[in-house]
Amino acid sequence: MGEFEVHRVRFFGLVPAGVRCMAYQHNGRRLALARTDGAVEVYNFAANYYMEKAIPGHQTRSVEALCWAAGERLFGAGLSGDITEYDLERLRPARAVDGFGGPIWSMAANNDGTRLAIGCEDGSVKLFQVVPGGGVQFEKNLDRQKGRVLCLSWHPSGTHLAAGSIDFIRVLDVHSGRTAQRIMVNCHVPKSKKRECVVWSIAFLSSGTVISSDSFGRVQFWDWERGTLQDSHTVSSSAALSLAVSEKEDSIVVGTSAGATYQFQLLPVKAGGQEKRWVRTKPFQHHTHDVRAVVHTPTALISGGLDAQLVIRPLMEKVQKKGYDAALRKFTLPHRRLVSCARKARLLLFQFSQHLELWRLGSTNKTGKDGETLPLSRMPEHLLQLKSKGPEHIYCSCVSPCGSWIAYSTASRFHLYRVQHEGDSISVKKVPGVPKLLLPAYQLQCASDSGRLFIASDRGSVHVVQLLEPGGCKHLHTLRPPAGTREAVYLLASSADGNWLAAVSGDWEVHVYSLKHFKHHCTVPTYSCAVTALAIHPTTNNLFISYSDQQLFEFSIPEKQYTAWSRAVQNSGLHKLWLERDSPITHIAFNPKNTSQVLLHDVYMLCVLDKSLPCPQPLPDDSAVLVNQSTLKQLSEPARRRQLHAFKICKKFQPLLFADLLDERCLVTVERPALDISAQLPPPVQQKKFGT
Amino acid sequence: MVRRRRRQEKEAAPVAPAAAPPSSEDDEAPEELSFGTARAEAEAERKLVGEAARRHRELLKEKRRRRQELFAEQKRRKLLPEALLQELAAAPPARADERSPAAAPDKRPQGVSAKQNEGRIPGQVKKDKAGGTRSKGNYIAVHLKDENLTGLHQQTAKDFIHSQLYGPGTNRTSANEFFSIANKKDLVKKAAVQFVDKSWGLEKKQRATKFTKYWVARKVTNTL
Repeated sequence: MGEFEVHRVRFFGLVPAGVRCMAYQHNGRRLALARTDGAVEVYNFAANYYMEKAIPGHQTRSVEALCWAAGERLFGAGLSGDITEYDLERLRPARAVDGFGGPIWSMAANNDGTRLAIGCEDGSVKLFQVVPGGGVQFEKNLDRQKGRVLCLSWHPSGTHLAAGSIDFIRVLDVHSGRTAQRIMVNCHVPKSKKRECVVWSIAFLSSGTVISSDSFGRVQFWDWERGTLQDSHTVSSSAALSLAVSEKEDSIVVGTSAGATYQFQLLPVKAGGQEKRWVRTKPFQHHTHDVRAVVHTPTALISGGLDAQLVIRPLMEKVQKKGYDAALRKFTLPHRRLVSCARKARLLLFQFSQHLELWRLGSTNKTGKDGETLPLSRMPEHLLQLKSKGPEHIYCSCVSPCGSWIAYSTASRFHLYRVQHEGDSISVKKVPGVPKLLLPAYQLQCASDSGRLFIASDRGSVHVVQLLEPGGCKHLHTLRPPAGTREAVYLLASSADGNWLAAVSGDWEVHVYSLKHFKHHCTVPTYSCAVTALAIHPTTNNLFISYSDQQLFEFSIPEKQYTAWSRAVQNSGLHKLWLERDSPITHIAFNPKNTSQVLLHDVYMLCVLDKSLPCPQPLPDDSAVLVNQSTLKQLSEPARRRQLHAFKICKKFQPLLFADLLDERCLVTVERPALDISAQLPPPVQQKKFGT
Repeated sequence: MVRRRRRQEKEAAPVAPAAAPPSSEDDEAPEELSFGTARAEAEAERKLVGEAARRHRELLKEKRRRRQELFAEQKRRKLLPEALLQELAAAPPARADERSPAAAPDKRPQGVSAKQNEGRIPGQVKKDKAGGTRSKGNYIAVHLKDENLTGLHQQTAKDFIHSQLYGPGTNRTSANEFFSIANKKDLVKKAAVQFVDKSWGLEKKQRATKFTKYWVARKVTNTL
C-alpha cells in the first residue's frame, strides 16, 4: 500500500466553549444548543445527529434561554435584554426585540408555540406574542415582585406560569396577571447552612405539581394550590442546575454542578397499585463539569455541560431494537473543518473563534521503520497570528495552496490578506478594494492554482473572485442554482484543473457548476441525509461525497451519473462497523500519484480507501474484520492478498481534527487530546475521594 | 572714722568674696552682697533675658512673615490669569454636550481642573505626533455609546452567576487537581496532569529565543 511520514500536529490549542442551554423540537427532531460564547448550533437527530447549522458567537452576546416556537422558528434571550429570533436560513440573528426588563434570565414557550414568557432581572414576567410574519410583539406584563426570575415554566394548559426566584417560587395566573401562590423555598434548611436558596430551574406538570431544583442540590415537589411540599430529594451536595420533564410527565432528568445527571421516575409504590411516587432511579456521570442544560426526549436523555460535551444517552427501555440506536454518544469537537492546509507551502491555518494562526510544519531528514518517531531537524514555527477586529466571531477561513493568500469572514466583514514569504520570515498586507458582497461568507475555498477564490453565500449562490498577483482581487461571477433556494451554501469543492465547482446548500442539494462557461452543469440526485464532506478527484473529475449516515458515493461529473464503483458499493452495502461510527467525515483528500486512493478521516480514525480492492462484506456470519491492518502485517503474502480489502483504517491518531496528504509520502494529522482541553476548562467541583 | 572704715571695709569686702568663687567645702554662710551690687546684677540678668526673648520673638515673626508670603505666592500661581478664566466661563457648553447627561455634573469640574493642571505647567512642551503614527500610551479609547446602563446590568448579572457558581460557598478545585486524582490513586503513582506550568519563566524564554535569533543573524552578517 504505502509508507507515509506523518506530521503529528498537537499544537492547535482549540478549547470549545461550554454548553449553556438547549431546546428540543419534537416534530422536527432537531436540537438547538447555545454555548457560553454566544454560538448557536442546530443538530439534526434524523440525519444521524449531525450538526447541520452553526451560528458563530459574538463577544457581547450571551444566550441564557432558547426555545422553538411556531414550528420551525428559533428564539433566544440573553443578558443583553433582547429576545432574538435566529434566521436559520441565513445563519445569523435576524430580529431583536428589547424586553425592557433588564437582562433576561429565562424564556419559555407555551404548548402551542404562540406565546413566549420571559423572566427578567427586575422580577417581572412579560408575555410576548409570536407574530406569524416574523418577530415577537409585546402582549402584557404580569405581576412584578422583587427578585430576579431565574426560571419559568408554563402549565401544559397555558393558564398558569411557575416562576422561580431567589428564596421563593411564584405561580402566576396568566389571564389576570396576578400571583396566585407564593411558596418560600428556604424554610427546610438547617440553621447552620442558612444562605440564600437560588431556584435554578422549575417545571410545571399538568397534575398541578411544581418541581424545583435549587442551589442546595435538592429536587422538591410542591402542590401549588395549597403551597405545600409534597416530596424532597437531596440529589447532591452542590447545586442542581437544570431540570427537564418528559412529554408523558412520568420521568424527569436533573443535572448537577458536579457533572452528574439523575433520572427520577413516577413509579407505583406497590406493584399494580394506584398510588405513585417519584423515585430516583438512574445516576449517570458523563460530565466532569457543571451540567447546565438537560433535555428529555421520548427515547433519550440529553445533557450538555461546561466541559463542552454534548452527551446523548438513550434510555434502554424505550429503545425498540438492539442496535446502534442504543449507544451512548458524546460530542466534543465540532462537526466542521477548522484547519486549512496549504500543501505546497507546508503551512497550516488554524481557525479560532476570534483569531487565526498560521504555522509552518517542521521537517526531518531521517528515515525510519514503521512506528518509529523521527527527530525533527527544524521545529514547527508559529508564523502569524491574525486577530479579527471587532466583537464578532469568525465564520470561515482559508489559505491558498501556495500559502500566499489568507481570507476569512465574520458576520459583517470580509478580509483578504496577501502573504509574502521572504526566506524564513513573512510579511502580511491587507488587500484593499474587496468586492462588496452580501456577507457573511459561510465557506471559503481557494482554487488549486491559487488564482481564484470561491465564496459561499446565502440563497445557494457562490461568488467567484479572481486573485490578482501584486495584491488585488476582482469579482468575476456569481453562480446560482437553477431552482433557487432559501438556504445558504455550507460546503464547497473545486477541481484541480479549475473547470468544475461543487456546492452544497442547507437543503442538502449538491449542485455542480462549470467554471469555463460560468453556468450550472448538473445536480447530484437527492439523498435523505446531510452532506458532511465532498471533494473532486484531480484526474478523473469524480465527485466523492460522504453523507452524515456514513454512506459514501462517487458521482462522475463529465458523465452526470454515479460511477460503477459507487453502484457496486451501494449494491453490496457498507460494513456494519463503518456505518456505526459516531462522528462524521469532515475532510476528503486524494493521492496525486495513485488515482484509486482516497483519504478520509473522522474524529477517531483515519482511513485510506483503495477503490481497486474489494469492499468488506457486511454479512453477519461471514463478516470480514473491518479494522484489520494489524493482523495483515503479520500474515504472509498470499494470505494477506486473500484478506485484503478496500478500507485501510488507522486508529493511532485520536481525536483527529484534520488529516491531509501533503504529497504522496507525507501525511499531516492535527490531533486535539482530550486531556489538553480538560486542563484549560474552568474549575470543577471538588470530588472528595478517600485517601487523597 | 570708724563708719568710713566700715564702709570701706564693706566696699572692699564684697569685692574680694565676689572675685573669689565661694568654695563648696566651706560651711560658711553665703556672702553678703550689698544692695546696690545685687540690684545691678539683677538688672543685668533681666536685660539679658529680655534680649533673648526679644530675639526669639523676632525670629518667630520673621518665620511667620515668610510663610505668609509663600502662601500668597502659591495662591497667586494656582489661579489662572484673568483672561483665561473669562474664556473658560464662556466655553463650558461645548464640552458638556459630549458627555452623557448623567455624567455631566461629575465630568465638568474634573474637566476644568484638568485644564488648570495643564495651565500650571506652561513650560512643558507637548510632543507633536504626525497624523499616522500612534504612541503606545497608557490610555484606552472607549466608545461612549457602549458604556451605558445595559453594560452595567449585564456585568451585575454575570457577577451574580459567577458568585453563585464559583463563589466562596461552592467547593471548587482547579482543573489540574481534579484530573490528577486518577493519577495519584493509581497503583503506580504518576505525576499530575499539568506537572510543569508552561507559564513559568515565560519572559526569560522569550528573551532567550529573541537573543538567539539576533546573535545568529549578527554572526551571519559578520561572516558574509
